[in-house]
Amino acid sequence: MRWDEVEELVRAALAEEVREGARRLAGLEERVVGELARRPVRRSPWARLREFFRQPVPRWALVGAACALLLGFALGRLTAPKPIPQFAPNLFVIAAPGARQVAVVGDFSAWQPIPLSDPDRDGIWTAVIPLPPGRYEYAFLVDGKWVGQDPLAQEYLRTFGEYVSVRYVGGGRADRSS
Amino acid sequence: MPAEELELIQRSLNGDLEAWGEIVARYKEAVFAVALSILRNRADAEDATQDAFLRAYENLRRYDLSRKFSTWLFTVAANVAKNALRKRRRAKDPPVEEVARDPAEEVHADLRLAAVRRAVQALPPDYRTLVFLYYWHGLGVAEIAEVLRIPEGTVKTRLFRARAMIRARLVEEGVIPDAVG
Repeated sequence: MRWDEVEELVRAALAEEVREGARRLAGLEERVVGELARRPVRRSPWARLREFFRQPVPRWALVGAACALLLGFALGRLTAPKPIPQFAPNLFVIAAPGARQVAVVGDFSAWQPIPLSDPDRDGIWTAVIPLPPGRYEYAFLVDGKWVGQDPLAQEYLRTFGEYVSVRYVGGGRADRSS
Repeated sequence: MPAEELELIQRSLNGDLEAWGEIVARYKEAVFAVALSILRNRADAEDATQDAFLRAYENLRRYDLSRKFSTWLFTVAANVAKNALRKRRRAKDPPVEEVARDPAEEVHADLRLAAVRRAVQALPPDYRTLVFLYYWHGLGVAEIAEVLRIPEGTVKTRLFRARAMIRARLVEEGVIPDAVG
């Protein structure tokens, strides 16, 4: 018996062992999901902040809020009204010749992929996403592969061992930091 | 990563437990194989498999999308199983389950397959895990190094040693002659 035949037997032996043991795994999905559903939900800081503002407001807070409102009116008369933030179209573009699927993920989409398209099939994938002024972190997914460094980005960050791009919308960096 | 799998992970990240259940269904056998290779006990491996999926879900935000998902999941599973093994050793429980077949049953089975199975079971735990990852999961050396957090050189040397041990055992049992191709 040649060694490659032994290797085939090793594969078969391991498969047999796993197959026998794997009978125990029936319904594991339900057990895992059930256990996770029973656990207290870990909320993001945003969710906690939202909940804080949804809580019943005590009287002292109402008085405080009224004072703050009056003060705000007084100060507001002294300063010019600020314009309401406008959503501006933002072009996301990446060269990915031969790619089958390209998407952009970012904090503006809760890191959910937004597909880019390449209708003329020239390898240039684009998407226009309206965004209000702000600072945005994002990356591209080219056939599922993370591409964190957009040449058009204004900054790069490195988190979890990967790059993400940063874009400032509605003004330069100085505007955003003020 | 397939787009469908990426979608399941994204949905799981947003708290969709049904999507995570689908991930469990897809990978439970592979994760079980990792746990079984380390713990050598089906009941413990089953518990470790469940724990691994719970732990992976809790740490899903740390998963780096540029890495292969299965490699990351196996790393979590290997860590969970190793921790379970340490606990078991501290508790001094009987560790290894004898999974050999009934001799009467073996008469009808492929004797060579049974011998190979015994040879793999007799491997030291580190080597056995490696053999599982290489031959059952079909991982490459680099991926095994990532899952077990050991250098690639160590993976290669252990693979060679594991093969030598299996071969020696099979020669000893008379399944193969002394010189194998």
